[in-house]
Amino acid sequence: MKILIIEDEKELRNVMRDSLEKEHYLIESASDFHSALDKIISYEYDCILLDIMLPGGSGLEILSELKKHKKDEAVIIISAKDSIDDKVLGLEMGADDYLAKPFHLAELNARVKSAIRRKNQNGNHFISWKNINLSPENRTVKVNDNELILNRKEFDLLYYFITNPERLITKTSIAEYVWGDHAEQSDSLDFVYSQIKNLRKKLNEVQAEADIQAVYGVGYKLI
Amino acid sequence: MLKKSLKYYTLRYFAIAILGIIAVWAASFYWLIIDEVYDNIDDGLKDSKVRIQKEIDKNPEILLTSEYDLAQFKITALPPGNYNFATHIYNSEMYMPYEDDDEPVRILQNIFQYEGKPYQLEIYTSTVEEDELIENLLTSLVILYFALVVSLILINHFILKKAWRPFYGILNNLKNYKIGGKFQFEKSKTNIQEFDELEDELSAMIARNERIYGQQNQFIANASHELQTPLAIAGNKLELLLEDKEINESKAHKILEINQMLNRLKRLNKSLLTISKIENEQFKLVEKVNFNSLIKNALQDFESLIDFRKIEIELNENGNFEFEMNVDLAIILINNLLKNAIVHNSENGFLKIMISSDKISIQNPGEKPLNPQLIFERFYKNEQNENSTGLGLAIVKSIVKIYPKLAIDYRFDNGHIFELKA
Repeated sequence: MKILIIEDEKELRNVMRDSLEKEHYLIESASDFHSALDKIISYEYDCILLDIMLPGGSGLEILSELKKHKKDEAVIIISAKDSIDDKVLGLEMGADDYLAKPFHLAELNARVKSAIRRKNQNGNHFISWKNINLSPENRTVKVNDNELILNRKEFDLLYYFITNPERLITKTSIAEYVWGDHAEQSDSLDFVYSQIKNLRKKLNEVQAEADIQAVYGVGYKLI
Repeated sequence: MLKKSLKYYTLRYFAIAILGIIAVWAASFYWLIIDEVYDNIDDGLKDSKVRIQKEIDKNPEILLTSEYDLAQFKITALPPGNYNFATHIYNSEMYMPYEDDDEPVRILQNIFQYEGKPYQLEIYTSTVEEDELIENLLTSLVILYFALVVSLILINHFILKKAWRPFYGILNNLKNYKIGGKFQFEKSKTNIQEFDELEDELSAMIARNERIYGQQNQFIANASHELQTPLAIAGNKLELLLEDKEINESKAHKILEINQMLNRLKRLNKSLLTISKIENEQFKLVEKVNFNSLIKNALQDFESLIDFRKIEIELNENGNFEFEMNVDLAIILINNLLKNAIVHNSENGFLKIMISSDKISIQNPGEKPLNPQLIFERFYKNEQNENSTGLGLAIVKSIVKIYPKLAIDYRFDNGHIFELKA
């Protein structure tokens, strides 16, 4: 799996690369409009992470170039702007997803994984980890062919873990993922704890081979 | 201090000034009239004196007129001696049978010699009754004074009111002015130069303020934007660091603490960006929004949080609250209000939502009233809560400010009640 990161900030490029390499992707990067254009024309990628504001041009122009060359890479726009107009425009121009800076690395992983999965709909509609099979489209989970009934938040939580297997996900990142903008609450971390406790209990009940492990009390890891 | 309207303010000074002017004028008028009257009388008396003396030469019997009788004079023979022969005229009183009373008279007294003997001649003439003159003068002046004041009130009422109409127009215009709102200063096309200038200056001032306000908003937006990337890098680096195998538990906790501070910064920055986006009117698309379904959706979003905190929800729908606005802003508005009510709640607390066609009220438990002037201000926190940005209700206020027909109120009645009115 090859991913192209188009981002002018060197440090952000590096940190994204480091994180995605842990997921065993092949990473290439471009730091400005023209080198990005060269790369998308010359090579094939599975996913492109695209910054909108680039030296030398706009990321949206790269989107239309991709269309012009009939490329169908999964494109995730990564923008500091987080404006609804930009988001709508980007998605209309053929981007698959829109991620606003600043983001959590686990969130980036989840987005990349689902974008690639949607592009390669080759019969496999499930994301799997050990004996857990999760279908994002139907929002269902099966463990050994037994259906696992989860509520909305629990499903989101499991989806977040299963797209970041064996990676440490911080409590704040989880709170923001399942809670969105409402994570600022003082007891949000207690809330995360109770949600994970419930999820673990449910996984345990259906004899899932996977477990969610607390790491130093700073976060959790799906193993 | 008791405030008076401009009309009564000017009227009061006019009334006092006219009172003074009339008093001074009355005194001088009275003095002039009396002087003129005495002058006339005295001329008549002197004339009589000359006639009588001439008559004495022809007819000395006149010297025997020793009492005021038919004639208005008397002549008294004086013993020989040295007399002052000058003419005196003075005021006195004399019994008048006609009036059956003593009446003021003016008397000319003169000592003269006839054939070497001194005689005193006294001529009287009835004179004006001064007190009656003063009385009449006073009455007419009081009438004049009130007539003037009444005319002034009328002039004030009709002419000044007409002249000041543009001013009250400007005043009303300014009452509706909110900075950053969609305000147009309507010029009244007055033909009064001062008001025209005032309107020009005011609209220039408003334009200046709006420009500065816009620049300030733009600055906040730009600053927040520029912060996003460094915040992302720092946070992501810490997340990678946490995954490092060489990190032990105590180090992990320290890194997490830094990460949590960064998250606070991110939230703060995000809220500031939201406010500046709202105030820079980046949410333009307007459609009819049904708040009933919006609230139900939001409650679903908050469901697990509400369950977790064991908050009892009471939703009463007495009507459909619909409003023409940007749907994203409506969602932010409702989410912030509900979040505020859920966050500032107690375990086993309650959240009451009442929806009618023109009002949504959201009630949560509370001990004592909050300051309604401050709760919608940016960064106002009632209690020290380090996880709160203090911007949630400020965002609510900036959204409401965009739509002149929308209002948000706070009151305290068995809990905190926020009311959204259309």
